[in-house]
Amino acid sequence: MGAFALRRLGGMAAVLFAVSVLTFLIFNVIPNYDPAVRMAGKSADPQLVASITEEWGFDESLPQQYLTMMGKVFSGDVISYQGQEDVDERIVEGIPATLSLCIGAAVIWMFFGVLFGYLSAVRAGGLLDKTLTILAVAGISVPVFWLAAVLLNYLAYETGLFPAQGYVELTEDPVDWAYHLILPWITVAVTLVGLYSRVLRSNMLDAMGEDYVRTARAKGLRDRQVMSRHVLRNSLIGIVTLFGLDFGAMIGGSAILTEAIFNLNGVGLYLYESIENLDLPPIMAIVLFGAFFVVLFNALVDIAYAYLDPRVKLGSEAR
Amino acid sequence: MSEGPLISVRDLRVGFATEGGLVQAVDGVSFDLAPGEVLAIVGESGSGKSVTAQTIVGLTRSHNARIEGSVRLGAEDLVAASEGELQRVRGERIGMVFQDPMTSFNPVYRIGAQIAEAIRAHRPAVGKGEAREQAIELLDSVGIPEAARRVDDYPHQFSGGMRQRAMIAMALALEPEVLIADEPTTALDVTVQAQILALLERINRERGLATILITHDLGVVAEVADRVLVMHEGRIVERGSLDEVFYSPKDPYTRSLLGAVVRIDGAAPLRPPRTSEPLLEIDGLVKHYPVRRGLLRREVDQVRAVDGVSFTLRQGETLGLVGESGCGKSTLCRAALQLIEPTSGSVRFEGREIAGLSRREMRPLRREMQIVFQDPYASLNPRKRIGQIVGDPLRLHGRASGGEARRRVLELLKRVGLSAEHYDRYPHEFSGGQRQRIGIARALALRPKLIIADEPVSALDVSIRAQILELLAELQEDFGLTYLFVAHDIGVVRHVSDRIAVMSEGRIVEEGPADRVCEQPSDPFTRKLLAAVPIPDPRQARARRQAAGLA
Repeated sequence: MGAFALRRLGGMAAVLFAVSVLTFLIFNVIPNYDPAVRMAGKSADPQLVASITEEWGFDESLPQQYLTMMGKVFSGDVISYQGQEDVDERIVEGIPATLSLCIGAAVIWMFFGVLFGYLSAVRAGGLLDKTLTILAVAGISVPVFWLAAVLLNYLAYETGLFPAQGYVELTEDPVDWAYHLILPWITVAVTLVGLYSRVLRSNMLDAMGEDYVRTARAKGLRDRQVMSRHVLRNSLIGIVTLFGLDFGAMIGGSAILTEAIFNLNGVGLYLYESIENLDLPPIMAIVLFGAFFVVLFNALVDIAYAYLDPRVKLGSEAR
Repeated sequence: MSEGPLISVRDLRVGFATEGGLVQAVDGVSFDLAPGEVLAIVGESGSGKSVTAQTIVGLTRSHNARIEGSVRLGAEDLVAASEGELQRVRGERIGMVFQDPMTSFNPVYRIGAQIAEAIRAHRPAVGKGEAREQAIELLDSVGIPEAARRVDDYPHQFSGGMRQRAMIAMALALEPEVLIADEPTTALDVTVQAQILALLERINRERGLATILITHDLGVVAEVADRVLVMHEGRIVERGSLDEVFYSPKDPYTRSLLGAVVRIDGAAPLRPPRTSEPLLEIDGLVKHYPVRRGLLRREVDQVRAVDGVSFTLRQGETLGLVGESGCGKSTLCRAALQLIEPTSGSVRFEGREIAGLSRREMRPLRREMQIVFQDPYASLNPRKRIGQIVGDPLRLHGRASGGEARRRVLELLKRVGLSAEHYDRYPHEFSGGQRQRIGIARALALRPKLIIADEPVSALDVSIRAQILELLAELQEDFGLTYLFVAHDIGVVRHVSDRIAVMSEGRIVEEGPADRVCEQPSDPFTRKLLAAVPIPDPRQARARRQAAGLA
């Protein structure tokens, strides 16, 4: 088991290396234009460009440039020349808001996704199932920016039930923190609730036809025990995969629209601003930051898999 | 315990509403189960025997099922009982064992936990630790070695036979009055089948547990049953004691069922030894798989799947290759066809060395050697029509196309006993036996010289087996085919083979003319295989059991 986890983490390092090389090539090599000029921004004077060239070693060999760039990223030495600020500091500042948004939304989407999926599957073909199906398809189809705008308009501006924007630190006032985050959480979660409930429903319907479910019934288990211990438990394995991918991508920047609309001072909002200003250093750093989380959660999913499905772990040992 | 039947089924009718209308799976079935007896319900796939068994405990209840009649267990009518009442009966008073031990356990829970779950479902007062102790005792009682350690294994760590033992242990957990075993040995090798049947018989004898045994195999029935019901198209067509049904069957269907059984002790057709040219020569064939462990996946051991096998297959002859699951016979087939690369050794086809040939060099030879697989369900693409499945090899090898391909496919379908109207149908519209015919037609499409048949009849009902074996024999005659016939059941192999090779743990332990190997086996393993074949003859089965008891 330990060896399996270590091997998986080793693979993760390899993927990250590949992503970092790609990022380096995309930002600094492929554009075929002096990267120092592009980094310096719109109103750059030759002196700044010269110092950037010097600092990032753009006149040296490509491998050397790559090493310099990675060195700067890892030592927190990346600077936004336009904003005159430390990029790593801004990312670290944004992490609490992004994590609050993602974790809160994840709790909501997992809870309701599993609940609705379970109810749909248990009552398959019934009125509840049909209602939930319509809701789920509607949820999947709604664009985030539209949903956010509707929520803002009706629940914030017109009725004033919820604040329209801003982020309050959890440590400052937990109630106010949650109060400010409710609309963004819902915005992020709705699509995923719909998606997860549909996937879980179909996984569970497949599982109900399995021989081991018949065995469980033949043992004399009550319907609810059969459903939760055998059907749901085995169907959740697929959901965990989805969750790992979605959650990693969410932290890595997928929540950019929601953060921008609700003016949540997170990593996504910073990315949004940087793209608007064509400010390369922060974009580069956030891409690497996002890649890290996507790859990390991918690896965690694989490791979780070995716990959830014993065949995975032992399958890898046998051959 | 009071006298009178334990279970009394009266005029049971089970129908399922489908798109094509109501399908009457069980059509007026009545029988009694006496305390302590073993009642066998025999029939082909689709005869309604499994539906009858599952309906007894209400497992067929669903919104599209119509269940009428009565099933009395003591004073209770299980057809009329509520779901809650049935849940108390399942496991507690009636235990069940199912056909496929691979899929009947939940793969994500430990074996012991699944047995403990059965106990705690009915005895909530029993603690987890206590239930685990009971699970260990149960596993031990059904012959699982080192039960205290194996109790924490997952199902995939058990072999097929061990899983079926564990399934029986679970069914016995609450000391039920009745055990329903639904095709309990059909998915198992004959040697393992013999062990499971012996276990069921021991349980019946020691605990006086009344048992309903559902099976398609009359050999199994002859080994263990007291009384027999024969089912056909949802009805009971014959009932009586074991000897009555076997020695004086009244119904023509029963007679046809008895006639279809391939008997190991029956006279095999006389076969002159072949002196033709060798077609396939295998010499010192070895296939090892590395076992890797640890962080760096170092090779720590090897699985010797095929460990130095040599034999010669002459043109027009049939060599039967017999052995238990895992003995390496399937690996041997695949290595002989160069579907996997052998570790070492030589494979000559028509005198030409083919081991180590590239894919491209193998391609023209692929036409000459074809394979028929065990599972007629899994080996046909469900999204392709039959005409396409059978015609694909012709088109892929550029042998025929368009109208010519169609004409040849129709000819082939006719040759294997199907008809032109089947051309545009999909695999799911066919029975298991018909699907195996399709598989054979596909293998024949390119007019091969060699056909490797890997357990071609193991997944089929006994009554269908004889038909497929007959077809293979006819085709051999007509096309001058050479067969390598692989099976775990030496009874089936004897029926079709000129010579038999017995394989165990990657090696051939005995080889010779079929009659000699079956009648004067020299290797103890061959004797074990022969002893495991169920004989569809109650008197002989009794004699054999007595002899084994005295020995």
